[in-house]
Amino acid sequence: MQSRLATPVAQSSDNRPDSFSRADLYVIVNQVGEGTFGKVYKARNTVTGMNVALKRIRMEQERDGFPVTAMREIKLLQSLRHQNVVKLYEMMVSHGSVYMVFEYMDHDLTGVLTQTHFSFTDANLKSLCQQMLAGLAYLHHKGVIHRDIKGSNILLNNRGELKLGDFGLARFYQKRRRSDYTNRVITLWYRPPELLLGTTVYGPEVDMWSAGCIMLELYTKKPVFQGNDDISQLDAIYKVFGTPTPERWPGVADMPWYELVKPKEIIDDHFRALFKKWLSPAALDLAEQLLTYDPSKRVTATQALEAPYFMQEGPAPVLPIGLSTLEGEWHELEAKRERERVKKRRKTEGEFSQQ
Amino acid sequence: MATDFWASSHYKRWIVDRAAVQRARAEDRQFVDDPEYLDLLAIFFANCISKLGKKLGLRQRVIATATVFFHRFYLKNSYSETDPFLVIAACCYVAAKAEESPVHIKNVVTEARSLFSQEMYGVKTFPSDNSKLAEMEFYLVDDLECDLTVFHPYRTLMTLCCKEGSSSDLDAEAGELGVGINEGHRYWGTGEGKLELQEAALQMAWFIINDTYRSQLCLLYPPHMIAIAVINLTLVLHNPTRASIQSSNPPPASQAAPTRRSSRQASHHAKKPVQDPVSFQASLNVNMTQVATIMQEIIALYTLWDRYKEDSNEQPKGSLIQNYSSPVTNSSGSGTKRSAAGVSVSRSTSVNTSSGSNGGTPMDLAGDVEIGEDGKPVITPAFLSKVLLKMREAKLADLAKGGGGTARPMAINKMIGRAQAAG
Repeated sequence: MQSRLATPVAQSSDNRPDSFSRADLYVIVNQVGEGTFGKVYKARNTVTGMNVALKRIRMEQERDGFPVTAMREIKLLQSLRHQNVVKLYEMMVSHGSVYMVFEYMDHDLTGVLTQTHFSFTDANLKSLCQQMLAGLAYLHHKGVIHRDIKGSNILLNNRGELKLGDFGLARFYQKRRRSDYTNRVITLWYRPPELLLGTTVYGPEVDMWSAGCIMLELYTKKPVFQGNDDISQLDAIYKVFGTPTPERWPGVADMPWYELVKPKEIIDDHFRALFKKWLSPAALDLAEQLLTYDPSKRVTATQALEAPYFMQEGPAPVLPIGLSTLEGEWHELEAKRERERVKKRRKTEGEFSQQ
Repeated sequence: MATDFWASSHYKRWIVDRAAVQRARAEDRQFVDDPEYLDLLAIFFANCISKLGKKLGLRQRVIATATVFFHRFYLKNSYSETDPFLVIAACCYVAAKAEESPVHIKNVVTEARSLFSQEMYGVKTFPSDNSKLAEMEFYLVDDLECDLTVFHPYRTLMTLCCKEGSSSDLDAEAGELGVGINEGHRYWGTGEGKLELQEAALQMAWFIINDTYRSQLCLLYPPHMIAIAVINLTLVLHNPTRASIQSSNPPPASQAAPTRRSSRQASHHAKKPVQDPVSFQASLNVNMTQVATIMQEIIALYTLWDRYKEDSNEQPKGSLIQNYSSPVTNSSGSGTKRSAAGVSVSRSTSVNTSSGSNGGTPMDLAGDVEIGEDGKPVITPAFLSKVLLKMREAKLADLAKGGGGTARPMAINKMIGRAQAAG
């Protein structure tokens, strides 16, 4: 199972004496994920016995040398320190590759929500939601937009702590001035309507929409808006929240692609009716505020933490420490592989039955 | 950047003591005739970075970051064992990426090739393919320990001295540093009581900061301390400002700058009370002895710089102070205002005091070096390029002799760097 951390690309850097000792410091256990810009491995520190996550920065197909996105991620993570943001321990150069060394997190949210051995209480779910919002509040206070909040980037450990990870798409923004950014960010299912409608001027509120999606997903156990492309993604959102009107979202008609993807029929808002079987009234209120069409009216992370859902309505948040009893480690990658195994088995079974 | 300086790698790992800076040059010192050449080389290389950065259209802040990377790299490496021109190119390339204004690797190679192929640099073969630069970048990022966030005195200067609501492009640049992310109070307690400088004085301070990168100051002191030292120097060197301070000051003005008194605010109609320099200094609550040391070092840098001539046909200029008294705003070259100004100031300050008359003498590249009137060689890029070449040859010869003895200090040197980085 264990493989030595040895990449076949042996570059001239190997004759530097200091790169040997550091390479041997970690032994790779297995792959646990696929980040935006490179594979993520679980590894063990051979001296302390502590587990870490190693993220290898892909260099070989980079003609421009060190990827600017990786540089951005390193700079961002080095400047962040919060209990709900994954900790970058150090950088490591080994055998011609650059690795980011992170604290190890046993699970990610997607993996944990797909398993059926351990179920969260409502108090646990509230805690997860609170921790996520606390992480976002910190990022936004620091002037960072994450731009890729989704289940597989929300990491959990067996102590029940939640941390935001993968800052491959994150960037600094300016509070005083709105700048133009690319709108090709955030995984489709978690992408807010204003990005789907083509805006390139946005701020931290794009993360809040994704957080709203995650909040619903915590209760329903699966992503709520599952589109295949920008248009069907908008349709999936409209089916729940209705079509956006200028009353609900004054700026909607000014969105760059509004005319192009104008909905053919008017749909009413069915959100509360659809979700009241999963969410408490205060939870519904908060989710609705997070998933507000008009970005300027969408609740901020700091405001969300003050919501009655956390402050008044029971139960009080409780860390899901029961995760430590959960057998195995659950990441999206394993969940994906499991799905593929099942699919394959069904397929072969199908082939057998045909014979 | 929305980061806390005190928690940063800049503060924790990359502010070193003078001994470490000395040790870093230990090997180079073995191969150089006059140790002072090493300090002059630092000026020379910083000028190269500035020139290359200008050609690449980099902002002043990016150039400053590139220069800091260069100094940090040579805390762990020696000039004689590396190709500083390739390192310079890599520093510019990495800094551009790290400061969110990336340039294409091909541009860097092309511009560096065309710049360093000028005769005075004596670079016969700057690599033409991208992979060499990419490889150098890799080593550079490794030796920088991936610490890519650099703090600069510019922000402190703007925080302390910029007029409120000023729409100068200085302010625009300051904005890009993420100043809007309310953290100004972190360094300055209440954050009240700015010292408003006149536009020209502010610009002069900005240029002096540019100049500090020609020395090792950025390795020795936190950027805000450098900024305060520069503000003090500006109060003395900027004639109108000094005059207004002196005119309002009863005679014993022979004291050090920090204790001078001013009533500049009398001539300003500010909404809130503008502080005079003395109470301003007092309110900073920083170590004034260290500020004075930094001021001394900046003056020492200018003295050294006087010996250096960027061009053989450079016009001799007046003394430093007289020079600064003229409106610096006019000294602009081509390209963006600031990066151009950075270079033009460096020129205007590189005063040839030793031989005011021999400016314009054609350089003799093939033969021996030009000798100034004081019997010392005239320091030009061509001269320093030769010094560098000689150092490398000496190093190679030493290696050929089986000079394991000199390989040692290098290794130790690196270890020190690592230990510091780890600490």
